[in-house]
Amino acid sequence: MLIYLDNSATTKPFKAVAETVNNCLTELYFNPASAYPQAVSTERKVEQVRLLFTQALFASPAEIIFTSGGTESNNIAIAGATEAMRNPQQFITTSVEHPSVFEVFRRLETKKVNVEYAGVDSYGAVQLDEFKALLNENTSFISMMHVNNEVGAINDIEQAHRLIKEYAPQALFHVDGVQAFCKLPFAKLLCDMYSISGHKFNAPKGVGLLYVRKGTPFAGGFLGGGQERGLRSGTTNVPGILGMGEALNQYSKNQNEWLNGMRACKLRLAANIKSIKDTLVNGPDPQKGAPHILNISFLGVRGEVLLHALAEKGILVSTGSACSARKKNNNRVLHAMGIAGERLDGAVRFSFCPFNTLKEMDDTAQILSELVTDLRKFKRK
Amino acid sequence: MPESEWVLLVRYSEIHLKGLNKPFFERKLIEAIKAVLSDMDVVIKKAQGRVYVHGLALTDIELAISRLKKVFGIHSVSPALAVDATWNTIVEAAYTLFADALKEKSSASFKVIARRADKSFALSSDEINRQLGGLLITRFPELFVDVHTPNIRLGVEIRERAFLYIREARCAGGMPVGSSGQAALLLSGGIDSPVAGFLVAKRGVTLCAIHFLSPPYTSERARDKVEALTKILSAYTGQIRLHLVPFTQIQLLIHENCRPNETVLLMRRMMMRISERIAASEGALALVTGEAIGQVASQTMESLVVTSEAVRIPVLRPLIGFDKQEIIEYAKAIGSYETSILPYEDCCTVFVPRHPLTRPVLSKLVESEAQFDYNKAIEDALYNTKVVTINRHVDYSPQA
Repeated sequence: MLIYLDNSATTKPFKAVAETVNNCLTELYFNPASAYPQAVSTERKVEQVRLLFTQALFASPAEIIFTSGGTESNNIAIAGATEAMRNPQQFITTSVEHPSVFEVFRRLETKKVNVEYAGVDSYGAVQLDEFKALLNENTSFISMMHVNNEVGAINDIEQAHRLIKEYAPQALFHVDGVQAFCKLPFAKLLCDMYSISGHKFNAPKGVGLLYVRKGTPFAGGFLGGGQERGLRSGTTNVPGILGMGEALNQYSKNQNEWLNGMRACKLRLAANIKSIKDTLVNGPDPQKGAPHILNISFLGVRGEVLLHALAEKGILVSTGSACSARKKNNNRVLHAMGIAGERLDGAVRFSFCPFNTLKEMDDTAQILSELVTDLRKFKRK
Repeated sequence: MPESEWVLLVRYSEIHLKGLNKPFFERKLIEAIKAVLSDMDVVIKKAQGRVYVHGLALTDIELAISRLKKVFGIHSVSPALAVDATWNTIVEAAYTLFADALKEKSSASFKVIARRADKSFALSSDEINRQLGGLLITRFPELFVDVHTPNIRLGVEIRERAFLYIREARCAGGMPVGSSGQAALLLSGGIDSPVAGFLVAKRGVTLCAIHFLSPPYTSERARDKVEALTKILSAYTGQIRLHLVPFTQIQLLIHENCRPNETVLLMRRMMMRISERIAASEGALALVTGEAIGQVASQTMESLVVTSEAVRIPVLRPLIGFDKQEIIEYAKAIGSYETSILPYEDCCTVFVPRHPLTRPVLSKLVESEAQFDYNKAIEDALYNTKVVTINRHVDYSPQA
């Protein structure tokens, strides 16, 4: 038995995706930048995928830059925008961003750039009052995640956008959409830049994209052969891009059904776990929040020990916290939410994809209940 | 034989002190040298008190030296220019070496240290020193003689051929592994135990290793870490058989049945008993641990005594008098430190009491052990122990 509940780490590619990738590796292996007909038809396929993304993002083809994934998209969004600015002043982000945003700002700080971090409420969503108070006419760049990867909190991008337009109209607004894309209904993007990672929605690893709204000052990423209109050089990752296109294709066809299915799994598991004593949901109410992320603390059990015990039974989950007696618990997100002590130590993240079933949720809860009871017998004395 | 070639001149460490057993030690040393150079097309020859490595590609010399630095029993290695033992060729070879050594120097002091092992050579060692020194000063005006603290020492050894060298790389010393029996190393994954294993192996002891796993309290990565540490050690020791012992059940039994402040020492005693059995099955004559007096509660004098008391096999503790900082310096030199500090091993805090005993009383521990059937648990652990064979690691780029 294998129940895979770590879909926020990565997802299993759809079968059709694997077939598409395989076809690219065996038949369609041409460099789209070459001149012969085979290369041209390969290029057309890549452009078809670009068009597919323009539909999902309500964008135009020139606004889509294919990258190697979420980390690259976030890095070049910040670096490429900063480079294109005359005199960047204040940067604003949040205390719960993914490391691929957070660490970039930390490095900017070492270069004497002013970075402000907006806090989150106890459910993991950015506190917009605090965010609003940080905005001013010197704000140059803002980065905020759409869905939090640890607890599934959804930030109100629409409201953030409105506040920015009012209090810092000159600022660029980047949104890290890695955990949100496909997991929330497709909608017009209310930002200047948006990061997406393929392997979070059942596409292969090593591919993603950055949406850059027309007119946004952006110096681009890698230099080289001038691919992606000179904004991101590097031989086009045809298998990755076509695979990612196929994954989006599947989601576009089935999104309603799948979002409902993931939400149903999340609610079922949450309800089942509720019957286990001393458990607490971290993050938004399971009815709200993203449909695919559920974070729960099992008091009196170390999250990492529970993770290993579940893995022995074939159930794969994750904990953000590195279990270490000597090292301070390093789950920055839960910490920012004000979670501490036993609740922090006992946190486990369950994350879902369209493959999961309600029966898996029942089996998982059953095993959890047994393991938690056993593990709680052995407490440090 | 080529007119001139680069050879590695390998000097023994202590082997020359041995009497009738000398051929045995030499054989073990040559086996180890062959093992670390097995992917290079070399010929290894033994001469009086020396081993010569012939046939090395110039581009392989640094890598070969780097690997030989991890072979116990070698005192030092010199890349030497081997030429016919005639005066003219010796002088030419010396010119070649100095032309290279003086490339970026405006002046340098030097000394010639000749050894005439072949007494049929016309000049005595002292005559070679004087005459060759004189020629070198004439040829390279930037040179001057300093017999006490020279910048450059030119070694000249006259045997069936002449060997000239100006570089001497210090090696690990010790005695060839396989020359002093076998011991079983308790390898925890921390900083100390790999160093303890290194020091025992340095005296020629072959090692096997024992590690205790506590799933789900420790992760698969903790196991990978121990395999990685074993691999690092194997560069010095050769192949190591690593025994992985499932230990969770015993920990749970102790936790349930015994006083909290005794759990660590009771665990240590159980580990010793299991290790003694594994040592016997491997033919190992002693256990090796990384303990040092007073480092933690389980390593006070009293604790060490009750730990050893659980077994009859001798327990070697090569770090007994070391400070932590000294052990860390060793670990860095061996190359195990970076791996040892990976944070995967810390998950069994549940089994570490807040206030462990530091002055245990043996009779009380024995009383506690009588509370449960540990013999059965030990048999189960031994039955479920897995053995992984870690082959000797060799580097593929020269190590600093």
